[in-house]
Amino acid sequence: MQIAGLLDLSATGIYFHAISVSITLGFPLAIASLLYKYSRTGDESLLRAARITTIILMINFALGAITGTLVEFGLVQIWSGTLVAIATSAFAPLAAELIAFVMEVALLILFYVTLGKFSAKKSLTIILSYWAFAILSGILITSVNSWLVSPWGTGNLAESIYPFMPDYGPAAMDPSKLLAVKIIMLATGLPLQSVLQDPIAAQKVGILITDPYIALKNPYNISSSIHNITAAIIIGTSIAILAWSYRYYKTKDDRYVKILASFFIPFLVLMILQPTLFGHLMGTSVVEYNPTKFSMMEGAVEQISNPLVSLLAYGNPNHPIMGIKDYENSCELLGNKTLSQIASQYNLTAQSIKQIAGLLNIELSDENLSRVLNITAADVCKQDLSVDLSILPTINVLYYTKIAGGILALLSSLALAGLLYRIPLISPISRAIDKLLGGRKERTILILAVLIALGAATASVLGWYVREVGRKPWTVYGLLYPSELATTVPTAYSLSFLLIAFLIILSVNILGLAAMAYVALNADKVSEYFRELLNKIRGENS
Amino acid sequence: MTPGFIEFLLLGIAVIVHIGFVTTTLGVGIIVAVYRYLSYARKDQNLEAFARRAFRLLVVTELFSGVWGTVITVFLAGFFPSLTAIAASALFGPLAISIASIMIRVPSIAIFWYTWGKVSPKLHSIIGFIMGLSGFGIPFGFRTIFAEITSPRSVAALLQGTQPSLLYAYTDPVFWGLYAHTVIAAVSVGAFMVAAIMIMDRDVLWSRKALLFATIFLLLQPIAGTAYYLILSNNAQYIANSITSGEFMPVLAVKLFLFAVLLAASIHLMRRLGANTIPSYGKYIGILAIAVAITGEFMNDGSRYPYMVVLGSSGISIESLANPLMSIQSVFPAILTISVFLALSIAVFSIAIYYAMIKRFVL
Repeated sequence: MQIAGLLDLSATGIYFHAISVSITLGFPLAIASLLYKYSRTGDESLLRAARITTIILMINFALGAITGTLVEFGLVQIWSGTLVAIATSAFAPLAAELIAFVMEVALLILFYVTLGKFSAKKSLTIILSYWAFAILSGILITSVNSWLVSPWGTGNLAESIYPFMPDYGPAAMDPSKLLAVKIIMLATGLPLQSVLQDPIAAQKVGILITDPYIALKNPYNISSSIHNITAAIIIGTSIAILAWSYRYYKTKDDRYVKILASFFIPFLVLMILQPTLFGHLMGTSVVEYNPTKFSMMEGAVEQISNPLVSLLAYGNPNHPIMGIKDYENSCELLGNKTLSQIASQYNLTAQSIKQIAGLLNIELSDENLSRVLNITAADVCKQDLSVDLSILPTINVLYYTKIAGGILALLSSLALAGLLYRIPLISPISRAIDKLLGGRKERTILILAVLIALGAATASVLGWYVREVGRKPWTVYGLLYPSELATTVPTAYSLSFLLIAFLIILSVNILGLAAMAYVALNADKVSEYFRELLNKIRGENS
Repeated sequence: MTPGFIEFLLLGIAVIVHIGFVTTTLGVGIIVAVYRYLSYARKDQNLEAFARRAFRLLVVTELFSGVWGTVITVFLAGFFPSLTAIAASALFGPLAISIASIMIRVPSIAIFWYTWGKVSPKLHSIIGFIMGLSGFGIPFGFRTIFAEITSPRSVAALLQGTQPSLLYAYTDPVFWGLYAHTVIAAVSVGAFMVAAIMIMDRDVLWSRKALLFATIFLLLQPIAGTAYYLILSNNAQYIANSITSGEFMPVLAVKLFLFAVLLAASIHLMRRLGANTIPSYGKYIGILAIAVAITGEFMNDGSRYPYMVVLGSSGISIESLANPLMSIQSVFPAILTISVFLALSIAVFSIAIYYAMIKRFVL
């Protein structure tokens, strides 16, 4: 069965969801800053700006809830094998995320309902509480994804087949059972769902994880969460900056400059921290936990030397950057070791695997089992790396395009800051740019806002692509292929299902985004319509 | 207390809270759509204003009811992964219908709210019906899960090694009995909630109209309920016996009592409203209607205990479907913390409802 269509479908859904997540995380920064400024100045235009931004946030949240549901059911229905993760390593973060999600919804509704009726300080407290839960939600969801990228708690299981892989923490997940199930899947071609959907089989597998909090202890997740959440806040806020800049461009009303200036400083701080400190932390985590991805990012087919990257990655400019071919060579370290011999390291024999398959109610022929057990580990290792070689040029180009996008966003942010505030050294440059662009401040601000949004979106979209595609051929790095996690339902692979699903995703999201744009321009007019209608009816009735 | 009881209990609580909110949003949605259309057809702005005032309730409750659906999904997948894997496969078609409905429903609510007065009344009425009817597409898919664990068809076929056709679950009479009961309950509860809002707004005319609407659907419930019971008697004897002569007989008695109180209260209220007086207890009529719906759901879901899936007079125990891959006891502290926050979220949400509906902060 072809899973490329399912991967594309999931990617489309996730990318649309990412737009909502970014606004969910970024807009509260703008709203809170506007409210803070309002509480200090009493300027009603700031409150009005906060209200309009909140309405967009509400619609976006609804859209995010739908796309989130889609992603959630995508996991359960399309990638049913991930249920094993949900029932083990991902359970604690997903269950904890419920706290964040319900509180987010409750606080956002409370904020929406009471904004302008409560004092600015009370509203500020509510929106900041909402933001805290939104960030917590982001961290917990990232921890689930981080476990796929760096499967913490699986010990040296990946390393036993791929010698260049690191240890993934203590063996909190039973490596013997994991390997037995993996060999059975390889020998039968069955995905994980086939094992799981037989309750008796699942009972026979028994306890798979000894530490259910293991995903929360994943060191990769710390840098990953900081990097992802900051990226989302930047994207979301850059959309708000773009929207208010557009208003300024259309009206030339200086109020909009004031609105922009009220939340630009915290944004700028994040813009500076992201590529420097947070990006660096993320990069060193990739070096440590995803060695093949790092090689692909740097375009290293064979060992290369790049003092600057080596200094950043290893703290040593002379450290070589390993290439995929080097990892291929390291596969030779396995010699002629077969999967059978690796299995025996985990106390598994052909007989015991066959016994487990029998317990799981799975037909496993001796011929197929023997074929799989006699495969040399070095061949598996090399074959998987050949996939990396084929996607390496793409990952390399996209990674550096992402870096370029980030630089563009950062430079444009600094230039815009120079126009919004008086900053020594920067403001003169900003004014020079303004002059170069024709001396129309409203147009320059809009151009810079577009460049910020474009640069940030490029960095984010491509960053996520590198994160997801860069860990191929695996979905769970070093352990499981996408096909092993896919559904057993044939309809899911049919062209008609894929087309309908694509159509629904695209139309709902495009409509949702159009609705947000429409509301941004007309929000107040709708309420006015009802005030007038109710007054008219009251007048007629009296 | 058998193994798996805690998981069953937590899942049950999430289902019941969800049902409490979701019956309101589904019912209000269709009432709003109908009255919005009538306002257009009869060119009556009073009807339009009524629809808008009722719709405020949906605007503030929809997301919160949806979030409890996510709670159910995470609990189901985490506590009962095998059952979820089976459902994902056997009920692929119905679940896809639910997801598609969610994807239509939520944006249509936002579009309906923000295009009011901005697009033609005809177009707005069409959007209203898309919004109202798509809501019922959601239980049209998800209720197959409840029907399957009551009387397995697709699941049974799958476990026997046959991938059932996409819509095979709809050949089950249990589903149709349950779905009819659900739809009627939702419309009735929605109308009672609208009536309560109108009573709080001290609007005698529309309180009365909403109550009449609610009572008509309430009177259909005994018919739907009896039909569903007869279907259960033929297909899920364990549940039927548990309700009429087993441990859940007191719950049935409570439900019937609450039903009688609700019916009597609505008739009494209509008479008082007819005399242009508004009794103070009227504002609680919506809560009472939700209590009847929740009791019914508790009876329908809880009466299968100690089985998760009922097979005629016996079934598959909760224990054998409970998550075997992880010791649930080891995550109990986390689950306890989560439960506290879930309760806290209801408190915060209630404050929002208070300001939105009672203090009338939302126009």
